[in-house]
Order: sequence, then C-alpha cells, then structure tokens
Amino acid sequence: MSEPHPRRAAVTGIGVVAPNGTTTETFWKSTKEGISVLDRVTREGCEHLPLRIAGQVREFDPSAAVEERFLVQTDRFTHFAMTAADLALDDARLPRSDTDGAPFSVGVVTAAGSGGGEFGQRELQQLWGKGSRFVGPYQSIAWFYAASTGQISIRRGFKGPCGVVAADEAGGLDALAHAARAVRRGTDVIVTGSTEAPLAPYSVVCQLGYGELSTVADPVRAYRPFTSAACGFVPAEGGAMLVVEDEDAALERGARVRAFLAGHAATFTGASRWEESRHGLAQAVRGALDEAGLAPEEIDVVFADALGVPEADRAEALAIADVLGAHGRRVPVTAPKTGIGRGYCAAPVLDAAAAVLAMEQGIVPPTPNVFDICHDLDLVTGRARAAELRTALVLSRGLMGSNSALVLRRGTAGAAQ
Amino acid sequence: MSDRITVEELSELMKKAAGVTVPADDLQQQQDSGFDTFGVDSLGLLGIVGELENRYGTPMPPDAERSKTPRQFLDLVNSALLAGA
Repeated sequence: MSEPHPRRAAVTGIGVVAPNGTTTETFWKSTKEGISVLDRVTREGCEHLPLRIAGQVREFDPSAAVEERFLVQTDRFTHFAMTAADLALDDARLPRSDTDGAPFSVGVVTAAGSGGGEFGQRELQQLWGKGSRFVGPYQSIAWFYAASTGQISIRRGFKGPCGVVAADEAGGLDALAHAARAVRRGTDVIVTGSTEAPLAPYSVVCQLGYGELSTVADPVRAYRPFTSAACGFVPAEGGAMLVVEDEDAALERGARVRAFLAGHAATFTGASRWEESRHGLAQAVRGALDEAGLAPEEIDVVFADALGVPEADRAEALAIADVLGAHGRRVPVTAPKTGIGRGYCAAPVLDAAAAVLAMEQGIVPPTPNVFDICHDLDLVTGRARAAELRTALVLSRGLMGSNSALVLRRGTAGAAQ
Repeated sequence: MSDRITVEELSELMKKAAGVTVPADDLQQQQDSGFDTFGVDSLGLLGIVGELENRYGTPMPPDAERSKTPRQFLDLVNSALLAGA
C-alpha cells in the first residue's frame, strides 16, 4: 500500500451544458469572447412571473442526449448531468469499454441545490389535480438532489464511491473537493460536478422569495455585480461535470492532465448575512491556499462569486483584500457568470471548468455587462486578457450562508495539445 | 375495452410508465424473459400497476408488482380482472 508520493487529483475531462454553449468548446468560445446570453425567461408557465431574465439552455434536446427511459424517469437537471458526464468522459477518453473492466474504480459525486423541480411540479399537479393514485412512482427519486449521482452511476455502470453534496450553492465546489478526497484515498476516477434546472414555474416561484434575486427586465442591466448599479443576481440552468482522476492512473493510460484540484476549504456564516461572509470567505481562501501549499501572491486569477448585491460584493472584495493583501488589487478577477447567470451549485463548477480552460490557454475571460467597478479590484471587463496562469482561485457563496474556495493548479498537458 | 389485458396493452404501458419500448410482437415472443432484461425496474412495474388500477378502476393483486416476467404479470392481473368481473 505504500505510495512513492501522495496521490494527486487531476482534472482529465470537462463536459459542459450551459446557457452559452452545450459543448465545452462552444461554452469556452462564448465565455472568452464575453458574450452575454441572458434573456427573457420563455419557459412555459413562467412568462407572467416577476422573474424576467435568466440564463436558459436553449440548444438542448434531451431526447437526442439520453435514452427514452431516462426521459420518463428523470428530471431535466439529470438530463443535463448525464449529458455533461458523457461529454466529460469522452473528453477524458475514458469510454465505457475501459470502465466496464473496473467498475469499482469509478465513482460519482454531484451537488444540487434545486433538485428536479419540473418533474416534481408535474407529479404534484397530478396529486392535487387527480389524486395520489395518479402520481408516478419515479417521483420518489427523480426530484431528489441525489438523482443525478444515482442515475449517472446506474447508466454508466459505475460502482465506485458515490456521494451527493447538498450544501447550498457553494456545494458545487464542495463536491469537487469531495471527489478530490476520494481520489486521494484510493479511487482512480470520480465523475463530479453539478447541473441545475431551476426554471420550471414551481422552481421559479420558490426563488421569488429571495431578496437577492434580480427582477430587472433588461438583460444587460439585470446582473451587474461590483458596480453601483448592482441589483441582485439572475438565475441559470445547466452546469458542468469534470472527470477527476488519480494523476498516476491518468498518466498510465495516456490521459491529459489538464489541471489539479490543489486545495479547498468551506465555512458557514449564515443565510443572507453578507457582511459576515467577508470573514467566512476569507477563512475559506486561507484554508484552500494552505491545503494547496501556496502563498497568497501565487494566485494568478480569481473567479469571483459575484452575487450582485452591493453588501455581498463589498464583502467579497474585502475578503480578497484580507487574504491576498496588496496582491488582491493586482490579481485579475473575473466573473463570467454575468453573461450566463448563476446556476446555483452549477455556477462554481462552470467557473472551475472555465478556470481550467483559462489556465490552458493563458486567457482570463471577461465579465460581461459589467463596467465602472466600485470596488478595489482589477475586474477583467470588456474583453479577455492574456496572462500566464499557473493557479486559479474559484470562490462561491450560497444564499443560505455557505462559503467555499477552491484552488486549481495548471496541469502538465500544456496548452499546445 | 377488452376485459383482458393483452400483450399489446402491456407493451404500451411499459413505454408510458417506464419509458421502455418493446414492440408487442417482441414482447409476445419473450413473455418469459425477466422484466429486468427489458430495462423495466421495480418502480417501472409499480407505475404499470398504478396505470392499470386507474384505467380499470379496480385494485390489482399485491403480488403483481413483484412479477418477474410479462407472462407471470399478465396471468396475475388477468385472473384478478376475471375475478372482479
């Protein structure tokens, strides 16, 4: 059992189903060009609700992506998850023929914040419209947070350690950290990430009570964090899955090591207590840096949480300054989610995916729709910025009070491949 | 409506309740294959039983949802329908 060196958690595959692209390539192209796809909510039954703008995944045909029985048995958020997992495994060049031979070496860890709202709404309408005998049995699993982990593992025949993190939006980063720990403890591969589908009418109504939700009807003004015009956040659907793998196992099979999950920490400071999130977020960053063995000055780019609530934006800017000191005013900070919306647990996973791509290509993507920063940050706006990026820090906070920080290091595959 | 549940109706219900498509002719040929070989799990079978109960307005025997094969299932539900008629 003795190892020549500690096992390291490498990212070898990325799969994205996002409002600005349903492949990793289109997502990254839109992200680095700073294209905003925020637009009117057009989902059936949502048109009259006070939430006007969101990041919808418009270019997604579930029947082309997953088998018929999963269309009947699972919710849209699981359709996204299965699709993103397929894309990530393809990207990692880890086909079913490889994993079938060692099913216990592959596990799944996802995070979810809103569950299967569309499926749940349909069945609840049956319950109250026709009676309990008309509720289908798949309701018992389809709308649970755990559904995507379970269905991905069943569909792909994975029997390794599985988990579900239900820890608020920041849980997206916690899931990646959970995956990294599973890999360090001995599992070769974990398929991990988060997808959400919170734009069914029932789910939207559940969000209307959030004071932080933006109900501004203009797509270019609805979500502008770090500005004096900040008016809340815009929700989104979609997400990303990553293949996280033991570095040695990855190299042995000739896979590309695209990045390392180097450090993570999480804290809790209470629901909507944004001023206090400053200290929680700062502590999470310290913990993540400590685990990664990095000094604050070694962070090359920050993917901000960027909630878009003035008090929360101030707390985040101060948290960055608290930990990074003077470096915090120089390091490029970005929030590409202003172009696609905030997909709850999926939001920081999309940021982690973008961070890997940014490090590979030496490009910091911009923050769409945001100009005139009113905080002491070097926020990348307008257009992408070229930079040598060896490390990235991804920040996330949840509306219920969780704070997480994840440090990624650039992989060994290099930009040339 | 026939008072017997046919292979055709079972095929239709498998598609509706579990999302599993097996043409009636194939199902006819493979009546002794396990539901699991078609990809119908226990929740799927439970959904089929629920559909039948709503459709015929009569409870199905408790063992129906534990049937292993289409033949076993059809025998059980049809004997219940006959008894109830």
